[in-house]
Amino acid sequence: MNLNNEKKPTTLLFNPFVYIAGIKALSLGVLMILLAGFIGSLSRTHFDGVLDSHTGARAPLWFFLSEGFTDWLCMAVVLLIIGKIISGTSFRVIDVLGTQALARWPAVIIGLVALPKGYERFGRYLVEHFRTPEAKLEFNLTDAGIFLTVLIATIMVTCWIVFLMYKSFSVSCNVKGGKTVLTFIAALILAEILSKVGLYALSRLV
Amino acid sequence: MKSLPTTCPSCGGKLAVRRLRCEKCETEVEGLYALPALASLPQDDQEFVLEFVKASGSLKGMAGLLKVSYPTVRNRLDEVIGKLNAHSTYPKEAK
Repeated sequence: MNLNNEKKPTTLLFNPFVYIAGIKALSLGVLMILLAGFIGSLSRTHFDGVLDSHTGARAPLWFFLSEGFTDWLCMAVVLLIIGKIISGTSFRVIDVLGTQALARWPAVIIGLVALPKGYERFGRYLVEHFRTPEAKLEFNLTDAGIFLTVLIATIMVTCWIVFLMYKSFSVSCNVKGGKTVLTFIAALILAEILSKVGLYALSRLV
Repeated sequence: MKSLPTTCPSCGGKLAVRRLRCEKCETEVEGLYALPALASLPQDDQEFVLEFVKASGSLKGMAGLLKVSYPTVRNRLDEVIGKLNAHSTYPKEAK
């Protein structure tokens, strides 16, 4: 790190935590989680797990909003515990919480790309096709194109979110190297299970 | 200004000061003097430490000055501390 720090676009995209952490990241991250939840409610996109996004099921707005918060808190709490174990230095809880919240901002993009109705229509077509393969269903090429685009975009954005979550962990807990990657993968799996359990419990309130 | 070499270009070992010279009367002193711990740091680390002291040792102040986040400054400081700790393990006869 040089003392003259110019903000590089690639760093802003893939490791913004070099520039932003703490309460600023937390405020912005919470705002983005709310926005992703709201847009998700419009496109019926559920962030039903730390790594998941699925569309279709109807639910009240509060449920869409709480999904993002559950995912964020599950991942942040698991990383906080693991960070305390493996980090050789002290770190601030607010940095882990803030940067993990901000790491989820690309979820807004997932909600946005799923907005076109063609995506939902083709999804329904696929479900019907697999349910009753013998039935002759109308196939729309534009809807198929939209569906494929959304699918690819969702996979790419999910990878981006995972990378941001890793960078957040690395910067806020000051951990590096192979051990960090392995513990992060373990944390991701654990947080995914926790979030699934938490969201299942929440879904029973709907 | 030339930067102070701290490692041997031949074997990579740490360099020590052999000769000092007064700029006023040109008196020269010979001996074997270890470089101060801070002088053994790379130039940009030295600048970082200098700015950190000027900022009264405030990590938040440094983060504002460098326009980076608090953990980025703290991680950098941890790196510098690691290098200084490594320097303190330098053989005693050269100190």
